[in-house]
Amino acid sequence: MSREERDMRAGDYVLGLMDEADRARAERDLTIDPEFRDAVWSFSQRLEALDRSAAPEPVAGDLWSRVAAQIADVTQQTRLELVQSDMAAAGAPLTPPDRHGALGLKRPMSGFFRGARGTALAATMLAACALGYVIGQASVTARDPEVVVVLLNEEDVPGALVEAYADDRVRILPLTDFEVPAGKVLEVWTLYDADVGPVSLGTMDAAREAVLSGPDLPAPRPDQLYEITLEDAPRSAAGRPLGPILVKGFAVSPPR
Amino acid sequence: MDDCDTLMRRVAGGDRAALATIFDLEAGRLIAIAKRIVRRRELAEEVVQEAFVTIWHKAALFDHERGAARAWMTTIVRHRALNILRDGSRLDFHDADQLAALGDRAAEAESAYADLPETEDLKRCLGLLEPQRRRSIVMAYVVGFSHGEIAAHLGAPVGTVKAWIRRGVSALKECLS
Repeated sequence: MSREERDMRAGDYVLGLMDEADRARAERDLTIDPEFRDAVWSFSQRLEALDRSAAPEPVAGDLWSRVAAQIADVTQQTRLELVQSDMAAAGAPLTPPDRHGALGLKRPMSGFFRGARGTALAATMLAACALGYVIGQASVTARDPEVVVVLLNEEDVPGALVEAYADDRVRILPLTDFEVPAGKVLEVWTLYDADVGPVSLGTMDAAREAVLSGPDLPAPRPDQLYEITLEDAPRSAAGRPLGPILVKGFAVSPPR
Repeated sequence: MDDCDTLMRRVAGGDRAALATIFDLEAGRLIAIAKRIVRRRELAEEVVQEAFVTIWHKAALFDHERGAARAWMTTIVRHRALNILRDGSRLDFHDADQLAALGDRAAEAESAYADLPETEDLKRCLGLLEPQRRRSIVMAYVVGFSHGEIAAHLGAPVGTVKAWIRRGVSALKECLS
């Protein structure tokens, strides 16, 4: 999607000029496409000034109790569930993982996912589907990535998607807004050889979609570890991760 | 960071009291926004009631929209109100009463623009647009006019209205950035 097209869709969404189908698609993209999300919220926060001239209306005394009664039995959805349902609605349904793992993936370091195996597997499938979908929309690359990785935070919530290419490029798609305080950067690492240790792929100063050129490394392989840490700008002085790990995950080969 | 953003994070963590606090702070404002679109007070209350149930259900999404809890809630309310409006009987543009009602609503949109403080960037940037483009955008946002209703009110073809809005939004985003 071009920037102009994205801005036009964001405009139509914020102005309320979409038909039902386009609006549903826009709401899915709000969940999975950070650039569209930015375009929508920056525009809607500006137009909000027009709402200020509407004098607040009195609120019926029982309105809150009506809301409270309705939410008494409503379970809140988790971020992952919301993303999954949006992905399913986008035509890339996710098979619920069974306890054996729906994809039959080998996970030599599955201890990392202990207690969250289902979530991790669901997230892995989510990564493959979400990237396919986003690439399909954006057409940013003609070549398929060697591996895709979903990076999870310590609660096993997907925080970023990574595609790693044979020519050392790495594309990062944040799924959440990482807090990056002044003077800090997000640094992306991979561990392709335990003897070499973690290697920096590059840094980002904000949680935005980015393509890093990456150093010359062997082609990325399934089960290779990727992680993002918070480091002092301009990058970790030690050449290895010093700051807290925000998210990490293991690579899988995308379905062809 | 706005109080509302802090409260919304607590709502995402399952805190019903935080949602009640947001309701106390925002419900009157949100009913007023919905009423500009659906016109009737009881419908506007229904919109806000449903919107708060949605906000509770989907609060986990909010963390994506850092710094925008109010804009997020406003968007939910506006779209719910538009749903009710568009589900209703379609406007017959040959009906003189309906055209008069469009005129009242268009006037309300114009006054929302006129009431913007001169110091507001949005006022300056809307003021730079050609009047038809500005009016189209303001009518869509404030009172929820469809392309067809804007076209009927301004006496222009729907395709022309769509082009006005595209160019207007583009220029507006440029000016505001």
